Amino acid sequence: MRRMEVALITDRKELRAVLREKFPRNHGQLLPALHFLQHEFGHLPDWAMEVVGWHLGIPASEVYGAATSYTELRIKKPGEHVVRVCTGLGCWMNGGKDLLSGLAHDLQAKPGETTSDGRITLEETLCGFLCGLAPAVEVDGKWQGRATAAAVHASVNGAAKP
Amino acid sequence: MTTTASPIKFLSQIAAEAAARRKELLGGKTRHIVQVAHCSLAVGADKVVAAVRQAVGENEVIIVAGCDGTCFQAPKTVTIAPDGRREVKGHGVESDFFALQKRIAMDGCGEIDATDVDDYLAHGGYAGLAKALSMSPEAVIEEVKASGLRGRGGAYFPAAMKWEGARKVRNSPKYLVVNAEEGEPGIFKDRHLMEGVPHRIIEGMAIAAYATGINEAYVYINAEANLSAHRMEKAIARAKAAGLLCEKILGSDFTLNVTIMRGAGGYVCGEETTLLNTMEGYRREPRLRPPFPTTAGLWAKPTVINNCETLANVPFIMAKGAKAYAAIGAWPSDSKTPPNQRASGTKIVSLSGSVHRPGVVELPMGTTLRQIIEAVGNGPMAGHALTGVAVGGPSSGVFPTSMLDTQIAPGLLHESGVMLGAGGVIALDERTPALDVVRRLAAYNAAESCGKCTPCREGTPRMVDALDRILSGKGAQSDIEELRYLADVVGAASLCGLGQAAGSPITSALRFFGDEIAMRVASGAR
Ligand code: SF4
Repeated sequence: MRRMEVALITDRKELRAVLREKFPRNHGQLLPALHFLQHEFGHLPDWAMEVVGWHLGIPASEVYGAATSYTELRIKKPGEHVVRVCTGLGCWMNGGKDLLSGLAHDLQAKPGETTSDGRITLEETLCGFLCGLAPAVEVDGKWQGRATAAAVHASVNGAAKP
Repeated sequence: MTTTASPIKFLSQIAAEAAARRKELLGGKTRHIVQVAHCSLAVGADKVVAAVRQAVGENEVIIVAGCDGTCFQAPKTVTIAPDGRREVKGHGVESDFFALQKRIAMDGCGEIDATDVDDYLAHGGYAGLAKALSMSPEAVIEEVKASGLRGRGGAYFPAAMKWEGARKVRNSPKYLVVNAEEGEPGIFKDRHLMEGVPHRIIEGMAIAAYATGINEAYVYINAEANLSAHRMEKAIARAKAAGLLCEKILGSDFTLNVTIMRGAGGYVCGEETTLLNTMEGYRREPRLRPPFPTTAGLWAKPTVINNCETLANVPFIMAKGAKAYAAIGAWPSDSKTPPNQRASGTKIVSLSGSVHRPGVVELPMGTTLRQIIEAVGNGPMAGHALTGVAVGGPSSGVFPTSMLDTQIAPGLLHESGVMLGAGGVIALDERTPALDVVRRLAAYNAAESCGKCTPCREGTPRMVDALDRILSGKGAQSDIEELRYLADVVGAASLCGLGQAAGSPITSALRFFGDEIAMRVASGAR
């Protein structure tokens, strides 16, 4: 899931209008609407989840409860770049373990944390479905197979340039 | 429902037109087939496409296909000259990777233009659907029953029985849901199918829907599989345009509508009632059964849920006949075993870990783990020794090398709880001791527990704690007993498959690697 650099929707009123246009008001639209938020904002801001709940007629607590139960939906705002290292068994044994500890050391951030300058969030993912190309790392939504720390740094730094 | 021979005629006309278009496009030209899939994109397949596109000459064409399963070779290009000469360009060598394989669901994967309906038709595609539509739905169910096909998602429930059940329910509308939620580490086969032969899934889906009397189908694809969703969408649009997915399919009275839904991650989402909750906009939690989905599923309507791979087997069964299918596998059709207990057909296995040639392979049921790891995967990584194999993902277990002659079969492979599951095979070497493997699997189960049942919610983290104590050298004999106890209780008292099988990796490890674990405890206690 790639996140947008600048969210186009900035307030509740605007979001309501967009939701009205895109999503019919039924319970089954919750997941599609949450996907839309994540695509738009890179995560699920509380206020936006409230608006989704209002639009679909689902209590905000239920929206939040559902959203937090899925592993691919992100509640907290991540750093500018997101680096996710696969720690599935295949990756773990074929270099993923060292890759994760190496990146954590370089970035001075543990898995789940964001670097102090807010630039990079380091995460673990339980499977990238790239076991055949282990180790695998996802940088800003794009997967790299047979990954190396150098390649990860290069893509993060490359992406930072205008 | 009319039963006429016209769908077959209708198809032969479409197929002839498709063949003519293919000939015009490809006749006398060199074909550059670039294999582009989720995996190969991660090693630059997009750049290969761009480069080939730039270099392509006048008498050459480029075809974007899925991957043929040779992950170790990605990114891969196959060039076929007009005289049939093949040249393979990729990472590493192909050698006899395909020797033991038998391709039914994956037939044409990596070779045919992924979403192009003409290419699939030229490959014999939609013949199974045409045949099915010229039979009565009951006869289609009988044919599938005779083939012995069982669900390929891990539970291995006989496919035809599910269809029959749903067909008999008098409540409408009914729904078909294709379970393409692949949330399990070590398993990456459904996306290969969706990316390489999406039309085969569509064809299987249409046959299933016809047999069960369903006109509304959903394909549930997990959040990560963007390319799969994209290819399925494109293939659906092309099938529609060709009259293969619409009202009055192939001139029959049968109509089918297909919609794609995206999941949002989580192992338990692959459980069919969780999948329904997700689709209806609820938390990622299973529902109590009964009622079973075939009686009350999506929006409380009768719903047939079939795994992607299961459906990809159906076109072959219809086109070539149940006998041809049942003849493949461990116990062929002439045996006295009733069809429902036969291990007929093939299984797609995701092979990874310590092997030279990881990939997605389709093998007859009855193939041994040794053949998979040694003959297909070409053994452990250089400089390492094989110590065991993790089979079937986080709900299954580990086998030592002494058990490598175990044959793959639908369901249980060993009484200690090792199951084939959805078909993950991860070769282990001495870098990752069995206890570490089990700890990773247990941690996965604990992280993925949805929390609905107390035994699963509380028990799975306690298993991890006990394993951690043993791993850190602070373990005691009581930890081993606790592990055994928890595996039993969580297995017996949990609602869904995740909790029911959460103890299996531990049980199998205690059974096969018990000495290693006991030594760990003893050395720590000293
Ligand atoms: S067994 Fe575990 S995952 Fe399954 S419903 Fe119960 S708590 Fe949820």
